[in-house]
This record gives sequence, C-alpha cells and structure tokens, in this order.
Amino acid sequence: MAENASAPPLLIRGVSEPRLEVHKFHTGAVVGASFLALVLQAFVPAHVWKGSIVGDLMELPLLVTLYFGLSRRNPSRGLLLGMVIGMAQDGLSGANPIGLFGIAKTLVGYLASTIGARLDVEHPVSRMVLAFAFFHLHHLVYVVTRRWLLAQMAPLMSVRVLVASLVAALLAWPLFALLDKLRKDEN
Amino acid sequence: MFEIATRRRPYVLLAFALVFQILLLAVQVKRPDGARLIRVWAVELLTPAERAGSWALDSMSGAWTGYIGLFRANRENQRLRAQVGELALRNSKLESSAAEAQRLAALLQFRDAHPDAPLLAARVIGGDAGAARAFYLDRGERDGVQPNMGVITPQGAVGKVLEVYSTTSQVLLLTDKNGGAGALLANSRTQGAAKGTGGPMLELDYVSNEQDVAVGENVLTSGMDHIFPKDLPLGTVTESRPGNPFKQIQLRPAARLDQLEEVLILLSRRQWEWEQSAADAATANAATRSAASNPAGRSPAPGVKPKEPPPAQPATPGKPVQKDRP
Repeated sequence: MAENASAPPLLIRGVSEPRLEVHKFHTGAVVGASFLALVLQAFVPAHVWKGSIVGDLMELPLLVTLYFGLSRRNPSRGLLLGMVIGMAQDGLSGANPIGLFGIAKTLVGYLASTIGARLDVEHPVSRMVLAFAFFHLHHLVYVVTRRWLLAQMAPLMSVRVLVASLVAALLAWPLFALLDKLRKDEN
Repeated sequence: MFEIATRRRPYVLLAFALVFQILLLAVQVKRPDGARLIRVWAVELLTPAERAGSWALDSMSGAWTGYIGLFRANRENQRLRAQVGELALRNSKLESSAAEAQRLAALLQFRDAHPDAPLLAARVIGGDAGAARAFYLDRGERDGVQPNMGVITPQGAVGKVLEVYSTTSQVLLLTDKNGGAGALLANSRTQGAAKGTGGPMLELDYVSNEQDVAVGENVLTSGMDHIFPKDLPLGTVTESRPGNPFKQIQLRPAARLDQLEEVLILLSRRQWEWEQSAADAATANAATRSAASNPAGRSPAPGVKPKEPPPAQPATPGKPVQKDRP
C-alpha cells in the first residue's frame, strides 16, 4: 500500500475544478493504521469498554477508510483499501459473513476518494460532517446488504445509529489529525 | 482505447470488487432451507436460460414432429378417405344386397303362400326406351314365358307380357295407356275395368254413379281379363267423383311400379284360375256346411268356372312346370 514516489503531486480534473493536493504516506503507514484500527475495533469493545455503549458505537475501520480515501484521492486505491479493511472486519467480527462490511467500506472508500479529489477536506468541520454523512451511508449499505442477502432485518435509523454517527464525527476530528502525522512531508 | 480503459478503471474495479464480495457472501450465506445463496442464484440465473433453451429445442422438435405428423396425417387422411370411399361403396352394395334379399324373401314368401301356382321369378333388366310404359325381364321363351302372361309382385299386379323373345320378354305395365286389368272393388264386389293413363295412376271405369266408392278402398283383380287371377291386389282408390255416364275413379297401383326389380310371371293362367277357384269353392262349401245359418256367406266370384283338377305338381320359379299352356 505504499505510495508510488513518481506519482504526480497534483491531479487536474478539469478546467473549472480546483487544484487539490494528493497526500502521500510513509511506507507501511496505511497498512499499520488500518491494522491498528481493526485491532482496536475488535479489542476495545470486548476488553476495555466491555459492556459500554462507547465501544459498541465506535467505528474506527470506517474512519480510517474514510481518511485515507479523502487524503489519497485515488478511487481505485480507496475502494481496494475499503474492501480489504471491511473484509478483515467481517473476519474479526465472527458473526458477519465475509463481505458484509466489505461491500459497505468498498463503496465508502470509492466515494471518499472521489469526493476528496473534488473538495478540500482538510478542515476539521468538513471532516466531521463527512464522517457523519459517510457513517450513515455505510450503515445504509450495510443494512440493505443484510436485508437483501441475509434476509435479516435491521433498522435504517435509530437513536443508537444516530449517536454512533455523532460519535464517529467526534472521533474523526482527533483521529484524522493524528493520521495527518503519517503523511510524507511534501517539502 | 487504452485511455478509455484507464479512465474507467475505477468503475471496473469497483464493479469487480462489489461483485466479488457479493458472490463471496452468497457462497457463505445459507437460506432457511439450507441451500447456499450462490446455488440459488446460479439456479435462478441458469434456469431461464435452460428454460429458453429447452423451449427452443421443444419448439424445434415440436415443429419438426408437427411437420412429420402433418405429413403422416395427410397421408393417413388420404388413405382413410380412400378407405371411406371403399367402405361406402361396400356399404352401398351391402344395402343393395340386403334390399334385394328382402325383396326375394317377399317373393319367396309369396310363392310359398301359393305352392300350386306356376310362378316364375324374373329380374327386371331394363326399361323401355320408347314412350310405352314397359320394361324387360331376363326370362323368355326358353323359360316358358308366353305373351299375355300376367306379371305380378307380392304387393299386387304389375302388367302383362307383351313380347317374348328367346331369353327375354317385354312387359307392359298396367299404367300404360294400352294397359289394364279386370277390377273388383273389394268392399262391394262391384266389377269394373282398370285402365292405364300413361301416368303413375290407374282409372277404374264402368262403375255406376249410384255405387258408393270410398277413398282408400282396395281394388282387386277380377280375373275377367284372363290374365290375372282373381282377388290379386290391384290398387287403392285415391279419388272418386260422379261422372258421365260412369263414376270417375282414380287408383294408385298396389305394386310399386317405379321400383320394380324382381317380379313373378304367372306361367299358367288357366291352372292358377282353376286352383284359385277350387280353393274358393272349397272354402265356400266348408262355410256353407259349418254355418248354414249364415246365408250371407260369400259365394264364389261370378264368372269362375271350375275345371277338372290336374294332378298336383309343385311349381319352381326357376324351373316352371307347365301343365297346361294356353
């Protein structure tokens, strides 16, 4: 997942589109961050905040997928990262068949990369709004997939989903700032 | 082309990733009935294609079978039509044979009823091409047929032999203008003369206007013509009205003169006359002896003169025995 050093720093998507910077990360940063997010997602709710609603509402793999998608602004890599993280999350969850989170995070990675190539997502507020919105998108895809393939009913919107989306938005602010530290210095 | 592929690479990759994961899910997920989703999808995906293929094969096979069947049906239809024609012809022949058997049975019955009468069965072999109402029989001089012999059927009198040839003979029908017979009203025993009209009917002449003649009354032969025996059915009165000087009475012939196929020829009028008269006399005598109190008993018909009885000898239609030729 290391970035190609020969890739151009800027992508021009048309005359009217703004020139947005494509960030690069140190080798292994993406893999490490993703792995850490998966471990924490599996470890914290089960051991640290056992029985706590905080651990239940946390969605670190989604935020990591979203961050790298928005930052690297490459749809192909964004969807592949989302697919890998999602399938790994399915594997770790034990209850889900592999692919349930994978499909949702593949779409999130692709759309985040597409949006990141068109919008400036460096501002903390925009990052929180995007985290909130993508959480619901992720949840929508997840519920639809469960209903369609597993014939399992799950609520599209509930208080818990709303709270979890707010938690994701609040977490996105410090987490994205922390992940910014993994960027390669352009200078 | 390469640029397009490169530009569309994310979409292709996205589609591939989604399809891959959906298939992965389908492999893992089981339906409540235990079937894996991928198997269900495969079946549902392939079934329409299989169904379409099966339908196409069935249609082609059906069309071919239908074509072959149609061809065979056409041949069978032709064969059956020919068979129907043959059967219809055979049926017609059988019906004709049955009708002929019925007619011959009637002739035989009539002959059996008159065992002593010299009757010769004959077949009608042709009509007359001229204006006369006549026909030809397959019996002639060789068979003992002579002119002026009576021709009858079990239903009644037909006509008389007009011309005789070696193996055939010509018969003049009663209804010919030159035809006729001595007649007798069955109820009143009034005598007259039945004459042909040239049409299908007969006229009964010489019956006085004072005589009551009812429509439907039977008319018999009187025997006075020396052709037909007495009391043979001649016809039925269909019309009776006063005339000048005699009643005008119209008769319908008792025999179906338009449907003649087999007839009987009276080979010996005199013999028949004697036998009939002898039988009448015997009947009258018996009636007189047994019922002396019945003076109104029917007497023998006038004009009948008993003759010496010849020795009894059965008559065979095919081989007539003529004891006394006129």
